[in-house]
Amino acid sequence: MNLTVNGVEREVESAPLTPLLFVLRDELEIESPKAGCQQGGCGACTVLVDGEPRRSCLTPVVTVEGSQITTVEGLGSAESLAPLQEAFTHHYAAQCGFCTTGMIVAAHAYIEHGGGEDREQIQHALGGHVCRCTGYVKIVDAIAAVARGDSFDLTLTAPSHDMTNVGGAK
Amino acid sequence: MKAVGARLPRYDGIAHVTGRTVFVDDVRIPGTLWVKALRSPSHHAKITKLDTEPAERMKGVHAVVTHKDVPLNVYGHLSALGIPGDEPLLAEDVVRYKGQPIAIVAAESEELARAAVEAIVLSLDEQPALFDIRKAFDPDAPQVHHWGNWYPHFEAEMDRRQIRKGDIDAAFDQADTIVQGVYRPAAIEHVPLETQVCQVVPEPNGRLTIYSCTQALYFSMGVVAAHLQQPLNKFKFVGGTVGGGFGGKVDTATETMCCLLALKSGKPVKWRWTREEEFLCSSTRAPWHMEIADAVSKDGWILGRKMLTLHDSGAYCRFSPYGLTKHSFHHTGAYTIPNLSFDGYVVFTNRVPTTAMRGFGVTSVSFATETHLSRIAEVLGIDPFELRLKNANRIGDTSPNGVVYTDPSTVPTIQAIADSLGHELPGEYRAMTPAQREGQWLPDHLVSQLGNPEEH
Repeated sequence: MNLTVNGVEREVESAPLTPLLFVLRDELEIESPKAGCQQGGCGACTVLVDGEPRRSCLTPVVTVEGSQITTVEGLGSAESLAPLQEAFTHHYAAQCGFCTTGMIVAAHAYIEHGGGEDREQIQHALGGHVCRCTGYVKIVDAIAAVARGDSFDLTLTAPSHDMTNVGGAK
Repeated sequence: MKAVGARLPRYDGIAHVTGRTVFVDDVRIPGTLWVKALRSPSHHAKITKLDTEPAERMKGVHAVVTHKDVPLNVYGHLSALGIPGDEPLLAEDVVRYKGQPIAIVAAESEELARAAVEAIVLSLDEQPALFDIRKAFDPDAPQVHHWGNWYPHFEAEMDRRQIRKGDIDAAFDQADTIVQGVYRPAAIEHVPLETQVCQVVPEPNGRLTIYSCTQALYFSMGVVAAHLQQPLNKFKFVGGTVGGGFGGKVDTATETMCCLLALKSGKPVKWRWTREEEFLCSSTRAPWHMEIADAVSKDGWILGRKMLTLHDSGAYCRFSPYGLTKHSFHHTGAYTIPNLSFDGYVVFTNRVPTTAMRGFGVTSVSFATETHLSRIAEVLGIDPFELRLKNANRIGDTSPNGVVYTDPSTVPTIQAIADSLGHELPGEYRAMTPAQREGQWLPDHLVSQLGNPEEH
């Protein structure tokens, strides 16, 4: 089987029903997608298949033969960060970091599809992505900042969105 | 001091956003064997037969380990502090919770390791199980341990953590009202996105390299060394990258067993728990049962507190005596109550052992205290903010265990909450500071508890 992973064509020898997650991690040694639950419930394994976010733990590799697979490594590198990677850094949108790569690729699809800075729409787009460190405010901050077209000073951490009036109390 | 108050960039931020952070599961070691555990399917049972030979005979299975292979099988997470060990690394003749490990295998693939576990012959004689801490003291309750259902080794061999302060009987005699409440927060699973995972490599020089997601690396090293009866210099721990822990990765859940399999097989081994294992078998935050009776005056002073706490330790004590001790020291919350009678028990049940989680032992009593203070305010018909400020910890007040507060933050915290909710405070409460009590804030009943903050 052949897959195009982060723009590079790769030949794959894993059995056809092997989850894409373990083809990426164990055969191709692309380790940013994480085995969080292996049940499609946490989002840590999310990759883009032809631009759409997919749970790689529930995706048999044979079903994506010939597809374009994008992981966070394909968005940018430490030397040349993508805007979402800069935003997640500047907004302190990662705590333990385990959910971060899945969050970023899902956010990438949201932005590519023209998503805006509305916090509820961002929350909807990231539904099913669990951050058990509960860093959601800063994650939404980072995605909204990219949607706005902000630029990011990586020598500083941004203050977080003011959540003191979430319930709408006067 | 340039860092204080500065918005510094995160030192590991760029690694996180580029996928270059190496979690334990990401460490690649050629020739690694997979680990799986035979776990108890029963909450409480005697083991009548355990035959691992069918697993050992399977091609591709390199090691099977039971309690017989562990140099010191029964140890406790607080043994180094003198608390007697009660928990076998691998069950011997009894299983006390569903999911308790009985045998572990290392095989050439995850599927093969799973098949090897299924090949092990296990027979159990089911025993009645205890799940409710409130029933643990009944004469006919199922017995979790041969010594009983609660931990008996507090100071002076007391079977409970006890605090007595002031004159509790006088406080209840003087009270205008007694306000009672029972509070029962449930168990919580930590659910770190990274499940328990460990890799161990046997090195040519006889040492073991341990890749661990522990939150407490040197602590885990001590636990492993104790079970294996080896000096610390036999172990090289590589840690520091934790995919979420929240207290649940303080227990040494995987490292010791992986070391035993690496030593027996002579090969690197890896154990990554499934999400199901994480939910069923990893330690949780404890369920608690807290009964409070407060002696209060009609103008809102809390004169005394009687409290009974039952802490659900699960099947073994792990850190529970420590957690209950913290709980007892904080059992008045952020408030000063001068007359106290507290009794707390670490109670065993046939549930998964419980452990630390974000404010170990204290979150439970904070929940109970805050709910109870609101209840007192409701009973007395006074403002809940004023009640809290009146009784708030001040400089020079003393905690239940006699620590003098030198910088308590209760007053500004309550004022900030009132502000953020737009709740108007009367002038004397708005003007209140944490300064030492005087005048109307120092009624007679609070004089004898005062300490000297200069001495601390």
